[in-house]
Amino acid sequence: MKALLHLTAVSLKLNFRNRMAVLYGYLFPLIFLIAFWTIYRSDPVPLALHVGQFLTVTILGSACFGLPTTIVSERERGVWRRYALAPVDRWIFVAGMLVSRAVLLLSAALLQLALAFALGLPMPAHPLGLLVALCVAAAAFLSFGLVIAMLVDNVPAVQALGQCIFLPMLMIGGVAVPLQSLPEWAQHISAFFPGRYAVEAMQLSATGSGLRGAGFDLLALLLMAAGAAIAATAMFRWDKALAPKRGWLFLALGMWLAVGAMAEMRGNVNISAAQDTRDVGTASNYAAASASAPSWENVTEADIDGIAFDRLPPDTGIVSPVSRSDETPDPVLEPSLDTIRDALPQWAPGNVADPVQRARNLLAIAAVPDILQMEQMERFIPRLVFARLQAMIPPRDLPKVLYWIAMHPDEGDDSAIRQLGALGLPEVSGPTKPVRGRIMLYAFKLLGRLTGHIATN
Amino acid sequence: MPSLIAVENLSHRHGDVQAIDGVNFEIAAGEIFGLLGPNGAGKTTALESVLGLIQPDQGRIEICGLGARTRQAREKIGAVLQATGLQDKITPREALNLFAAFYPAPIASGTLLERFGLTQKADSSYESLSGGQKQRLALALAFAGDPQVLLLDEPTTGLDPQIRREVQDHISGLKADGRAVLLSTHDMDEAARLCDRVAVIAQGRIVATGAPRALIAESGESLEETILRLTAR
Repeated sequence: MKALLHLTAVSLKLNFRNRMAVLYGYLFPLIFLIAFWTIYRSDPVPLALHVGQFLTVTILGSACFGLPTTIVSERERGVWRRYALAPVDRWIFVAGMLVSRAVLLLSAALLQLALAFALGLPMPAHPLGLLVALCVAAAAFLSFGLVIAMLVDNVPAVQALGQCIFLPMLMIGGVAVPLQSLPEWAQHISAFFPGRYAVEAMQLSATGSGLRGAGFDLLALLLMAAGAAIAATAMFRWDKALAPKRGWLFLALGMWLAVGAMAEMRGNVNISAAQDTRDVGTASNYAAASASAPSWENVTEADIDGIAFDRLPPDTGIVSPVSRSDETPDPVLEPSLDTIRDALPQWAPGNVADPVQRARNLLAIAAVPDILQMEQMERFIPRLVFARLQAMIPPRDLPKVLYWIAMHPDEGDDSAIRQLGALGLPEVSGPTKPVRGRIMLYAFKLLGRLTGHIATN
Repeated sequence: MPSLIAVENLSHRHGDVQAIDGVNFEIAAGEIFGLLGPNGAGKTTALESVLGLIQPDQGRIEICGLGARTRQAREKIGAVLQATGLQDKITPREALNLFAAFYPAPIASGTLLERFGLTQKADSSYESLSGGQKQRLALALAFAGDPQVLLLDEPTTGLDPQIRREVQDHISGLKADGRAVLLSTHDMDEAARLCDRVAVIAQGRIVATGAPRALIAESGESLEETILRLTAR
């Protein structure tokens, strides 16, 4: 115990004396944080939806570079050859390295969070859960960092191998580039890397339902941690002159494969924008008869009864989701929802004279967050919009208006989707067709609720 | 006098090379025993086996009556190895305190800094030390656990003559303390000056053992010539 404490303390001291290590360990995570903040500057809540990502980048940097560089450079100098003579178990030396690295990593993560708070990130919904997820993710990555340290002979090789893991994980592992933006094939690949599980486990604690929803993520990370830890122990060497037992690498990588296979078997590897921007079809996919009425005022009950409400995407899915009435949003989302609720009465597009255009504009408030995959936001905003529509359009007219909008998704003006800034939402530019598709779906969904075709819950 | 190091029939192969082949020797308390021979003769393999760093293919090694690879044996050994160093930014005092934490009955860092003339440099970084200071620190670290047995692998190689003499004085001082010293060297003068007995090792086998004076007297040549003749391939 005395040896472990001394090793940890010395290792920390030496790290802080090494200017490059300090720069790399602390400045680099902050630069990544600023990058995320800049890229996602249009997010309604700064950085809130990227907590898992920026923390994972920090862990990844520490595991791919910080930890193995220290161990390999000490081994190259023969420090570990000297340690080998001491009457101390080898795991004490490794533990000293890991503990000091974990302290550095946690302090870098806290620094990152402090800057993020200063930039407007709200407190995580589940701070304790976030800490647990961070520790589990750190265990998975640092164990793999140990494997790298045991595998390679010199520091340049650490850099090379580290990059080979770091960059793909950032790009197609769901760490720097969000999973939703990746093509389907890359999402399948990402299931075999630890990155996405770390991101998801931490993100759920930051803005989601906490660790309860992160069971598989934590299991995946723990399995990967165990595989890498066993491999690193077996591959341990005091001296680079001793050949590493490379075969054990297959255990560490085999665990990645096993986790990926498990994820594929569970079948929810694709959470993609590939699915989410998918064409939702035309109105005729949902209504048996094509619209016969010449204007919205002539819509009949029979027209509405002809709609196949059961073909609509489920409320719990990711296409046009709607929260249950007894569900409460994460506290972190409440300020954003309040902003929308408070700004709605003054929002000009929501007050235009034509009731159809007015309703279409209001539905855009739900459609844009849905298309942007704003995680929890996209499920709670529709309820706000439905309430506003019921307040703004006479109950006799509302079903007809909604039917008309749903059956004519390409009609009318869509400039409202570029005026969402007043509500604290991103203003969408570019093609508006996907948004119109979602306006259609939400029109159907509210119509179904109003007419009793969809059970209100 | 009881032997503190006993090596019996030690053999080890590195791949295709028979590094050592049936090596035997014993070293008593208060004795400095030299292992002489050219590079690649098997000195380092023998030393590393005694240190427990390699598991020899064959043979028995005892340190103070304990198996070489046991923790208790390691508590009794101090060593200066080739190709060892320290982190650039660590100070001699920190290094000595760290190594003291590894042993049950360590010598205080202050005592060792003074004994090896490092008090002035106690709080300087390792990278700022001269070659001689680094080697003295290596010796001081070998003493951190107050060892009964010292293994020194070419401890004066690469040092300038003055520092070499200084380190040699430290080594000869160990006799008086009743410690057993195994010294590997290819410096004949050093062996003649320091060692009570030497073993000449060539191609993994011990080809001659005895007091340096006796070896010289036997052949009528200098120690260097004797060794060259014995280790000629």
